[in-house]
Amino acid sequence: MFKISSLTFKNPVFIASGVFGFGLKYKRVANSVGAIFTKGITLEPRMGNPPPRIYETPSGVINWVGLENPGVEEFCKRFLPKLRNLRTRIFVNVAGFTVEEYERIVEKIGSRVDGFELNISCPNVEKGGAAFGQHPKIAASVVERVRKRTSLPLIAKLTPNFCDPLQIAKACIDAGVDAISLINTLYALVYDVQEKRPLITGGLSGPAIKPFALYCVHRVRDCGVPIVGMGGIITGQDAYEFLCAGASAVALGSALLRDPYAPVKIIRELKLLMGKG
Amino acid sequence: MTKTVKVKRKRWFAKDIFGLEVSFPGINPTPGQFFQVRTSDTLDPFLNRPISVASYERNRLLFIIKVVGRGTRLLSEKKKGDDLVVFGPLGKRLKLKKRKTLLIAGGIGVAPLYFLALKLHARKIDFTFLYGAKRPCDLIVKSSISRIAQKAIFVTERGSRRSMTAVSALRHIDTSMYEIGYTCGPKKMLVELQALNLQFPVYAFCEDFLGCGCGLCLGCAIKYEGMYKRICVDGPVFELGKIEFNV
Repeated sequence: MFKISSLTFKNPVFIASGVFGFGLKYKRVANSVGAIFTKGITLEPRMGNPPPRIYETPSGVINWVGLENPGVEEFCKRFLPKLRNLRTRIFVNVAGFTVEEYERIVEKIGSRVDGFELNISCPNVEKGGAAFGQHPKIAASVVERVRKRTSLPLIAKLTPNFCDPLQIAKACIDAGVDAISLINTLYALVYDVQEKRPLITGGLSGPAIKPFALYCVHRVRDCGVPIVGMGGIITGQDAYEFLCAGASAVALGSALLRDPYAPVKIIRELKLLMGKG
Repeated sequence: MTKTVKVKRKRWFAKDIFGLEVSFPGINPTPGQFFQVRTSDTLDPFLNRPISVASYERNRLLFIIKVVGRGTRLLSEKKKGDDLVVFGPLGKRLKLKKRKTLLIAGGIGVAPLYFLALKLHARKIDFTFLYGAKRPCDLIVKSSISRIAQKAIFVTERGSRRSMTAVSALRHIDTSMYEIGYTCGPKKMLVELQALNLQFPVYAFCEDFLGCGCGLCLGCAIKYEGMYKRICVDGPVFELGKIEFNV
């Protein structure tokens, strides 16, 4: 059984950040998975981006939500106490716009969760996000500073957009993360030919990106820490492929857009496959 | 929970508008509520299509759907006896008010308002049904609407002697007697209707591309009273005057 730092998990199927809110609505689903990555939390509340925020593409979906969330204060007051009642591991997805913001968010939450996922890869914000995760030095500086503020397990969520996730992973591991999750969504755009402007720019997810996500996981497989693989996992077979390619666990994202109960089914399918394997 | 249901009846209302009737016992949907309907067993199209309830009688759920893209085209290929994977009912429950009511439908926006009309009729609440479409052949369920509405007004933009939209028709109607309105139709129509600033509250049944349809993904934002609300769980029915359309 794999561990992230000293944490064990009831199964290797997690729910990715951004598709499950804070996990409180579908408790049966939440309690069935190994861990939940919360919606990204910022220091201040964020309204998110104007519509359209979502657009379907072949076997995929582009989102441009823009980190809508209540901010860390409100999160701690309204959601955190309830989250603690769930029977799963909770990782707060931390989204800072400056290095200091990552530190402050982590400090405010303290040790009331199981760990943190550092979002250095959001493609949908003007500053921060992916800008931190595309450069090994900057990514490492975020990890280093946050590492000093918490002893809880830290996971860095990486982008594969215009960078080599292996280099970023190595830098983050040297700076002290306990695991790597990847991939965040891919830069994507839909063009409105009538208006002669982009209709939506955002992050592409779903089955369309699965082969690339698998490639990325396979590329970083020997980095020395557990990998949480994600990107277009819809079935137990998909999850199994990620585990075989080098991931210790997988996270489900777009699958929940199609069916919020998908994790229950995927866990069942994966168990069967792992039993055979 | 997603559920697989059987198509009990399929019929065409117009050239590109069809109805799927499915057996779905044990629910009590209200007007405006919708189901996330899977269009394909494959992963493309990937997302479900939000389809509002057009009627629910004797455990039979009716979806009235217009073919607008690939997903709805695939749904239009469903036949009697086929399986349909659905998730719902979703959306807030609407409480009916015993007031003199005006319904304003544009195009396929008639579907949820038809359900509302059936409910108002069952509750013996008086209402006028104003319904606009592009051409006369696009007007559907006309006879049912005429039967249950105190007054039914049908207008079309083309093919009739007086070409009109539902909103332009409103300018010729005395609306002073109405106490509440409900509307559903294209965004352009809702924007025009909002600009009319009617003297009674009007509630809009909103639609958009939805992701999950159940409040998780924050994909279906609508600006309402200065804040983003989720169409799927905070709506889909919102007070028209308080919506900030980004036009």
